[in-house]
Amino acid sequence: MEYITASCIIRKNSLYRNGRLVWEPPPAGSADFLVSVYQHFGFQYPKFYKMDQLGKLGWLAAELLLSDGLDAADYRPEDIAVVLSNANASLDTDYRFFATVRDIPSPALFVYTLPNIMIGEICIRHQFKGENAFFIFESFDAGFIEAYVRDLMENGKARACVCGWVEVLGDSYTAALYLIEKNLTTLPFTAENMNSLFGTQNTRHD
Amino acid sequence: MTKGSPVAVAGVGIISAIGNNVRECLSALENGQAGMDDIAWLDTVYRRKIPVAEVKASNSRLEELAGVGQHIDGPAGGRAGLVSRTALLSLIAAREALDNAAIPELDHWRTGIVSANTVGGMDRTEAFFSRGPRGRLRQVVQHECGYSTEWVADRLGIRHYQTTISTACSSSANAIGFGAKLIRHGILDVVVAGGTDALTKFTLNGFNALMILDSAWCKPFDGERQGLNLGEGAGYLVLVSDAVAATLSARSECVLSGYANANDAYHQTASSPDGRGSWLAMKTALERSGLQPADIDYINLHGTGTQNNDLAEGTAIRRLFEPRYPKMSSTKSFTGHTLGASGGIEAVFSVLAVWHGFVYPNLRFHTPMPELPFVPEIEFIRDVPIRHVMSNSFGFGGNCSSLVFSKCQS
Repeated sequence: MEYITASCIIRKNSLYRNGRLVWEPPPAGSADFLVSVYQHFGFQYPKFYKMDQLGKLGWLAAELLLSDGLDAADYRPEDIAVVLSNANASLDTDYRFFATVRDIPSPALFVYTLPNIMIGEICIRHQFKGENAFFIFESFDAGFIEAYVRDLMENGKARACVCGWVEVLGDSYTAALYLIEKNLTTLPFTAENMNSLFGTQNTRHD
Repeated sequence: MTKGSPVAVAGVGIISAIGNNVRECLSALENGQAGMDDIAWLDTVYRRKIPVAEVKASNSRLEELAGVGQHIDGPAGGRAGLVSRTALLSLIAAREALDNAAIPELDHWRTGIVSANTVGGMDRTEAFFSRGPRGRLRQVVQHECGYSTEWVADRLGIRHYQTTISTACSSSANAIGFGAKLIRHGILDVVVAGGTDALTKFTLNGFNALMILDSAWCKPFDGERQGLNLGEGAGYLVLVSDAVAATLSARSECVLSGYANANDAYHQTASSPDGRGSWLAMKTALERSGLQPADIDYINLHGTGTQNNDLAEGTAIRRLFEPRYPKMSSTKSFTGHTLGASGGIEAVFSVLAVWHGFVYPNLRFHTPMPELPFVPEIEFIRDVPIRHVMSNSFGFGGNCSSLVFSKCQS
């Protein structure tokens, strides 16, 4: 049986961990929300500043998800899968890259013009070497993610999985990451529970 | 790591900038004739600005070579002029490989194709967009990477298994490794394995954006290398089970004895400076072959000519082979970097090296890399006793693969 052992939701300038609001930046004047999150939590990973917006959002969500969620000693690198999804792939960065083409195409932007690069950033940071996949849906399809990840875990392809949704387009961004593990008897891994955690940011402000 | 049983190579086929078949390519390798030139067929603003290694034929000439007529029937067919260059290159080389293998009563065996590519039919998609909203939708149906594999399988009557692998520049090496597994596990008797890629605006512009293209002809493993030249082509092996090998009139003396795939987990497009992924791929492939580093007589390098690849690959070779280095060279100095096809093209060269006792030159090498204690071969060498050849293919995403080909003990 699989369980959701940690979750992290980032949306509308607020940040939830395991269903609880953990931080809201001061409302006005915060130029770049993602950088302010990085600074607020005192992360030390200079490569963060080179990432595109999607990479930054996914990296931050994974950092918060795993900071006290995953005991790396329990797993080999090959045991941990990453399965993510969103609606617009890397379109935010594709637009930014295309804007540079008339002048000098930017190599720094070009390398981010694929959404699975964000999975790479997370895997490099946490040294995950398991299965990974990126899917595009119009909106978060918890049922698909549940079926896909359950199949990986029940067929011995992964013993833990970081899964969910990371979406950035212009000023709009949303992340919902879940850590799925076996036999830890926390919150059962179901589409309903993922949707419920994703939705909590509107109601829970404790 | 356990040793795997070797898989026989029964035939090879190739098309590249240095020739439309095995004989022409070998002749160019012997004569030191590189395939780079000004862009002649790709429609791009970089004509006369960036050299590439194009296959020296228009699409209609390729249709003739592939033996496809004005009306191409079948469920995956298309009219003449509409078939992607990627698929045409694939059909020409895969057919040559099957002809070369000359397997008696091929219909009686379970036969599959594992074909790699990175651009799919994007050359036709680009043609579609160049005509604005009036393009023909038939051109776009070939866009995805699996299309050419299906189309070629239909043309060659391969009906038991077909799949497509796309892992950037290691694609074809992984296709060959996977094909060998299908034979080893008794799933198929004959596998055509390798890959194809045509030049497209997308790849040329993308590599140009990464600033890793040389504006002159590339100089792999040279201290003054400036980047890579893109190329195009296709290369396939025919891998067969022992039962099929026993029916061949001319016994092949080459086997794939080892294969490994590993990942750097370091950067999106760059190799780690110490080449840890390439080291792991080479080391594991050797272990699976049951060989020691000193057993390798020749390495067909990945050797793209970029600062990053050649240093990472060279550092990994130093770590694995020190102090005795095999002969080595990058045949990308002839064919350019053919991306998804490169592992197939270079596997063909590696098999030919085992069959004929050849070592190929690394063209335009002048200045040793200060970081490395070895230099590549610069002359074509014939009649060298070659027992084992390693072929390296390292791709974006840190995806690193090595193949080991061996002369069979008869």
